Amino acid sequence: MVAVAILLAVLRGPVETGQATLTGLVAAGYFALGAVGLTLVFGILRLVNFAHGDLLTVGTYVALGMAAAGLPFWAAAVVGIAATAVVATSLDYVVWGPMRRAGASTLQTFLTAIGLALVLRYTVQFFAGSQVRRVGLDVVSAVNIGPWHLGTLQLVVMLVGLATITLVGLGLRFTILGKQMRALADNMALAEASGIDTLRTIRITWAVAGGLAALAGILYASAIGSINPNFGVTILLSLFAAAVLGGIGNAYGALAGGIVIGLAQEWSTLFFNPRWKPAVGFAILILTLLFLPRGIFGRKRART
Amino acid sequence: MTEPAPQEPILVIEDLHKNFGGVHAVAGASFVVERGSITALIGPNGAGKTTLFDLVTGFGAPDRGAVLFEGRDISGLPPHRIARLGLVRTFQLTRVFAAMTVLENMMLAGPRQPGEVLIRLMVSARSARHAEEANRERALALLGAFNLESKAADYAGTLSGGQRKLLELARALMVEPRLVLLDEPMAGVNRVLGQRLLDDVDQRRREDGTTFLFVEHDMDVVMTRADRVIVMAEGAVIAEGPPDAIRADQRVIDAYLGKARSR
Amino acid sequence: MSFLHPDFWIGVGVIAGIYGIFALGLQINVGFTGLLNFGQAGFMSIGAYTMGMLVVNGGWSLWAAMPVAIVAAIIAGLLVGLPSLRLRSDYFAIATIAFAEIVRYTFQNAAFAGGNQGIIGYDEEWRRFAAWLSGRFAALGLGDNSQLPLFFAVWVVFAGCLIALLLLQRSPWGRVLKAIREDEEAAAALGKNVLAYKLQSLGVAAALAAIAGFFLALNVTYLYPGEFDPTFTFFGYAVLILGGFASYGGIALGTILLWTLIEGLRFVDLPLSSGQLGSLRFVLVGLVLVLLSMLRPEGLLGRRAEMQQRR
Repeated sequence: MVAVAILLAVLRGPVETGQATLTGLVAAGYFALGAVGLTLVFGILRLVNFAHGDLLTVGTYVALGMAAAGLPFWAAAVVGIAATAVVATSLDYVVWGPMRRAGASTLQTFLTAIGLALVLRYTVQFFAGSQVRRVGLDVVSAVNIGPWHLGTLQLVVMLVGLATITLVGLGLRFTILGKQMRALADNMALAEASGIDTLRTIRITWAVAGGLAALAGILYASAIGSINPNFGVTILLSLFAAAVLGGIGNAYGALAGGIVIGLAQEWSTLFFNPRWKPAVGFAILILTLLFLPRGIFGRKRART
Repeated sequence: MTEPAPQEPILVIEDLHKNFGGVHAVAGASFVVERGSITALIGPNGAGKTTLFDLVTGFGAPDRGAVLFEGRDISGLPPHRIARLGLVRTFQLTRVFAAMTVLENMMLAGPRQPGEVLIRLMVSARSARHAEEANRERALALLGAFNLESKAADYAGTLSGGQRKLLELARALMVEPRLVLLDEPMAGVNRVLGQRLLDDVDQRRREDGTTFLFVEHDMDVVMTRADRVIVMAEGAVIAEGPPDAIRADQRVIDAYLGKARSR
Repeated sequence: MSFLHPDFWIGVGVIAGIYGIFALGLQINVGFTGLLNFGQAGFMSIGAYTMGMLVVNGGWSLWAAMPVAIVAAIIAGLLVGLPSLRLRSDYFAIATIAFAEIVRYTFQNAAFAGGNQGIIGYDEEWRRFAAWLSGRFAALGLGDNSQLPLFFAVWVVFAGCLIALLLLQRSPWGRVLKAIREDEEAAAALGKNVLAYKLQSLGVAAALAAIAGFFLALNVTYLYPGEFDPTFTFFGYAVLILGGFASYGGIALGTILLWTLIEGLRFVDLPLSSGQLGSLRFVLVGLVLVLLSMLRPEGLLGRRAEMQQRR
């Protein structure tokens, strides 16, 4: 990545490159955190959760609702994160658990996830309306670092994002829970045999995935400044790109993948019109699936 | 491509190697199978027999070595090409199409059906229909030879284990193969059905000149039915010859006992 | 408008028919070959846009543009399938969604496709034909609803495609697809070129999607890319699961059921704004998908026996 950065700096000038890099790092935060939840769930349950993007939406709207009701923003964010964690875990009780026990097929889980995505998204839209909403935070003030500038809010988002990525990475590595999650993702039968309470770990994983998704959504909303109920789905493919790139099932990979996607999308603006940014995510997704389906860090079999 | 002389072996395995992440499943196996013979491939568990079958039939490419079928190198070809050349197999755990009827299973295997090619089907439906009729008759006749015609309209999933083995063999024969690889045809089958299966194999060999290579653990069957026996252990061939010679071969006894001792 | 006003339901019938043709394509992939094609909306948009661009930008006749557009969609199906069919089924599904989104994105942002403005004005010849048809209907005493010709055309084409697919399914070709869905390795071991058959299945689905796309374009009279998003494909799957995965005929029932349900909501007396009603429809479709795949995965009209054999 560093090599690419230097190359771009040479091609487009350090100022523009640096600017794009900063913006990319802002995006990296929410892409990485969104992708981690997606990859953890896939790694442990072999479930492609199409409803994940809408967990971002739910969390963000709950937070904004609380903020509009008068809570200070940080408290509202906490409520949003907690609420999404609860929703995600409840869904495991009500939907995913029973399906696992019944031995559902890939098609069934896919359709269920899609159905849940629609239910979540449009329930939000039912209550909050489909119009674009402003986040209502200070989006004007900016910070200047040398020749580069960044919105203060965006700076906060970037710092929170990167800090959380680091915390999650450390947590996965050093906490017991983190080790259990990784063990489950690696080999569920073995993990169970070695005495890990798989059901509890699965439920906690859902809670973590939901919570991180909510945080990712809140960061996204803060960085962009406005949202609509479809935003979760809009960035879902980019989240998939990040997860697959990093090796689906591998949480560190998802974090790294998120950073790559965030930077790649912003760097693409140095060459292309910004409206093609999401297409960069899709393209990376397709290219990775076709040529490197294991991702950079992955070990799972991706071919039949 | 000249037709090989009748005495030439139908299958030649030359120094085959296959490595799975450190495990040398097949380590320099070499042997020949004579045309029109019934050859048995035996060996203790883990000797590499099923992996060898996989390599020969295209389910995996060898790391090194060659597989020559009727003089032609088929190593690395995809399974469907190999089947079309006349080499078919059955599987250790029967793989009949459970949600299709017995007759459908059979008719599916009929070779060179114009109705299976989309363009041909759309352009000349009539010739496709004729071929389908001929296919059906052939399938029913073959089912009759295996005493399965009464089951023709049943879902293959409702058949007993032994009946499924028979179906799988009958289906394989529909392809008009010149060499059939049978992976443990006796496993899970009762004596009576098993003997019938072997009788059919014998008959095919006599009438059509079809060659059979089978993996078996049932020594009775091996000794009474096979013309030649090839013994594998730890990925390589350690002995080959007529059943009586193999029975007394010290290397073979050691290989089997050795496995028992090291357990 | 009262609940039973025929004009309204004829309009719904057109939509139901469009989804029916769309879902027939999905059925051959999902129900009969075992392919999780989630990019069907992408093929649809290629068909519709190719037709639109040929007529509007190229001056072609509508009737000549359609077959060419179908071929374009088929080619797209083959191009998508070639690299991605070797992926396992969930990755394949994601790859097809990604493809469909790239297509949508391209049409949305590229000048040649009219960008977000879309394409307009391709339906001149259709309107003439429809007017003539309307005259015939009026003569037969069927009234003069302007949508009647389209309704008629959609369902006639649906019936034709249905019959064609039924014939295909009972053919030796269809039998190979079935075997591939069951156990593709066993099929390969019997000499069937699995990849070739999967590509053909995808091609047929793409052709059907294109045809559905034509009718959609004629119905809304202007093409805009947002129409062809993954949600369209998801609705198609809802039709599929309602009608049963092993039955083409069930699709007719599935699509009629779904759209009666969705549109019938308008008449239920709820104290909701129209925006909220709109959201409710989607929630409903989502619930249909969740409940059916959890509780009755073979679909409402599917054959349990066959599904059980597959376990």
